[in-house]
Amino acid sequence: MTSIGTGYDLTNSVFSPDGRNFQVEYAVKAVENGGTSIGIRCKDGVVLAVEKVITSKLLKPGANKRIATIDRHMGAVSSGLIPDGRHFVSRAREEAASWRKVYKTPITTSDLANRMGGYLQAYTLYSSVRPFGITAIVGGWDSERELPVDGQVGSGPSIGAGGKVEGKKYGGPGLYMIEPSGLYWGYYGAATGKGRQTAKAELEKLDLAAGKLSLEDGVKEAAKIIYIAHDDNKDKEFELEMTWISGLDGPTKGRHEEVPKDILEEAERLAKKALEGDDDEEEIKEEDKPAEGDKMEE
Amino acid sequence: MNHLPQGWGRPRDDVYGAYDASYLQNSGPNQHTQQPVVTGTSVVALKFKEGVVIAADNLASYGSLARFTDVKRLRTFADAAVVGFGGDVSDMQYLDRLLTSLDTEEAYGTTGHTLNAHNLHTYLSKVFYKRRSEFNPLWNQVLVAGVDQEKKPFLASADLLGTTFSAPSLATGFGAHLAQPILRTLAPDEEAAAGLSKEQAVEAIKECMKVLFYRDARSMDKYSIAVVTKDGIDLRENEKLEAQSWAFAEKIRGYGTQVN
Amino acid sequence: MAAMFSQNPLMNGPNYSFNQTPTAAAAGNKEHAFYPYTDNGGSTLAIAGEDFTIIAGDTRSTSGYNINTRYQPKVFKIGGTTSSQDDANIILSVVGFAADGEALKERLDAIVKMYRYQHGKPMSVKACAQRLSTILYGKRFFPYYVHAILGGLDEEGKGAVYSYDPVGSYEREQCRAGGAAASLIMPFLDNQVNFKNQYMPGSGVGHDLQERERKPLPLVEVEALVKDAFDSAVERHIEVGDGLLMMMATKNGIEEKYIPLKRD
Repeated sequence: MTSIGTGYDLTNSVFSPDGRNFQVEYAVKAVENGGTSIGIRCKDGVVLAVEKVITSKLLKPGANKRIATIDRHMGAVSSGLIPDGRHFVSRAREEAASWRKVYKTPITTSDLANRMGGYLQAYTLYSSVRPFGITAIVGGWDSERELPVDGQVGSGPSIGAGGKVEGKKYGGPGLYMIEPSGLYWGYYGAATGKGRQTAKAELEKLDLAAGKLSLEDGVKEAAKIIYIAHDDNKDKEFELEMTWISGLDGPTKGRHEEVPKDILEEAERLAKKALEGDDDEEEIKEEDKPAEGDKMEE
Repeated sequence: MNHLPQGWGRPRDDVYGAYDASYLQNSGPNQHTQQPVVTGTSVVALKFKEGVVIAADNLASYGSLARFTDVKRLRTFADAAVVGFGGDVSDMQYLDRLLTSLDTEEAYGTTGHTLNAHNLHTYLSKVFYKRRSEFNPLWNQVLVAGVDQEKKPFLASADLLGTTFSAPSLATGFGAHLAQPILRTLAPDEEAAAGLSKEQAVEAIKECMKVLFYRDARSMDKYSIAVVTKDGIDLRENEKLEAQSWAFAEKIRGYGTQVN
Repeated sequence: MAAMFSQNPLMNGPNYSFNQTPTAAAAGNKEHAFYPYTDNGGSTLAIAGEDFTIIAGDTRSTSGYNINTRYQPKVFKIGGTTSSQDDANIILSVVGFAADGEALKERLDAIVKMYRYQHGKPMSVKACAQRLSTILYGKRFFPYYVHAILGGLDEEGKGAVYSYDPVGSYEREQCRAGGAAASLIMPFLDNQVNFKNQYMPGSGVGHDLQERERKPLPLVEVEALVKDAFDSAVERHIEVGDGLLMMMATKNGIEEKYIPLKRD
């Protein structure tokens, strides 16, 4: 590594002569070691999924959740240092609650991403702090109906002055990924953590930009991608954790919830089945392909 | 407690003498809420075999002025309970926000356990009691309808003083005088309420809304009605009393100067 | 306070508990806009026996002439370790302002539970009685608007009843009635429990009259007295009725009994 011995990597907020901030880059390394997290923005909702690597047999299966609820309509998952992820979530909850307190309406996914992007960026500026060792994926559903503000009691004029704009489309799914530098973009499909390369390749195959994938199918795809991105040879066992957010007419009624057990199990079954099918074909190919893991470490 | 929210929490006139309205002037030291301003009238509710029916009209009055005619006074809580608010509308909005944040924080947990109607009622009554003890009351009487931890119908009241009680049928404000007798003939005790079908309960509540429309001057014919069972909430916010009208009033002759 | 628990001789008209203060406005400055109390009516009664204590209360809750509900207990077990309070050894009754009563009950219950966990033994009724007084006096200048009665078995296994005013003044007594119909029930108790105004037949006249000798009453007789007292109170007081909840503390623990009363 070029930085070694130059001293430009020893403290936060210091640029190297070629314009890099090494502390931020090291934080990215921490992310690259974490279990894979993905998010898919479907036409009628958002799915979040994470590959939860089992670090000990003494941990209770299904406990120690990795995907958190930020507000009723929003969730977040992250790869990297888990405690940093917890702090991210707690700050995001504060931002969502304070937004409600000020504006009496739920925060939109893009606004939350903006607030959190600013927050993470601040942690690259000062020598007394270090950047977040996580990349977070935030998924949410902004209500498609014109939402009453919290506590509002009437519905107001139905149309015209002070009323609704005819034909205007409100809300919809939102998916953002926020990196240690504070950089955030909105995505159709987002992946981070150890298996992100594989996951991204799989996400690209889905043609999410067309806006055709349904939430139900998104759940199945997400499960499959986590299974594919998981490296059987190198890694320990893992658990799949998934949450979703649908529109008001969908299964979660605009709320961020865990994917119900039966649907999760079905998606896992399909994922395993698809993987077995793939194995038969890929066993031949695998030899003439360079090992996936090597590429990632670069 | 009577049908006039203005009177709630005040010393009774027949006990303490006529209330001196000069105390309501805003000059002088800083004051907490001393009177409700925009108010909602009765809330009525009745238990039945599988759940609870609850209703309230969509009117918010400013004194005797029918100020807002599209005010939803039934608020849902996490598919588990409905809270019906009587009394001050701004305090209702404050409580609604409080319940929204409670619901949000409850959803942070991953156990999937959400608060039931019983828990919600306890929470609300403690909020009321705390605020009355600070001499800064929330000027409402509320009914909480839903199911309890055993999925059995739950119905209870809480008010600005922190007073709480539970019964097979409940009604606030004018409803306590006009609706409660109707409901009690149908469900004098828990056993009788447990024998009611949903249809019977809804019909009884609608009948009460009709009586209240004709005899409570601070009421209207548009109302919200909700049925809460363990399977969820069926809330309708734009019901109208069918074939009921005050139009006959102008045809009445023989009173005052109008002698024929 | 006096409004609730004493009979004001200056008053005319029916003595409903929410109508017991002078109706004329007091002279001088009156500074109130929000009144933090109300009266939820109802009545309670406690009698200590040789080796038992009975505390009872009706289950009606009122507000003015309205009945809020026909079933809201005023008698509670205190300091048990389970939600059903099966292992409790102390009974508390509260009547007056129900919200304060509930708050007081919850506080005392929490304190008695903490005592049990910290000391590894249940609190004695005597200690609990003193503690309750301290709690009430702690709110001397914004009182719990209730008439509390505490009971159980004392260290010797004898029935014990303690009664309180709203600010914590208390006394151990043989029997006490509280709440709306206290003034109706108490004289009945004086006569039937303490044999007041009962004399030995043929013992003479004037100063020669000998009072009937006091003897402890058995549980069955006391239970009958309680029922009679409430049946009578229901007849004559509109705020009393619907149901009677009795709790009996004996060496075997606390037994609970519910009897319907007239609902008119």
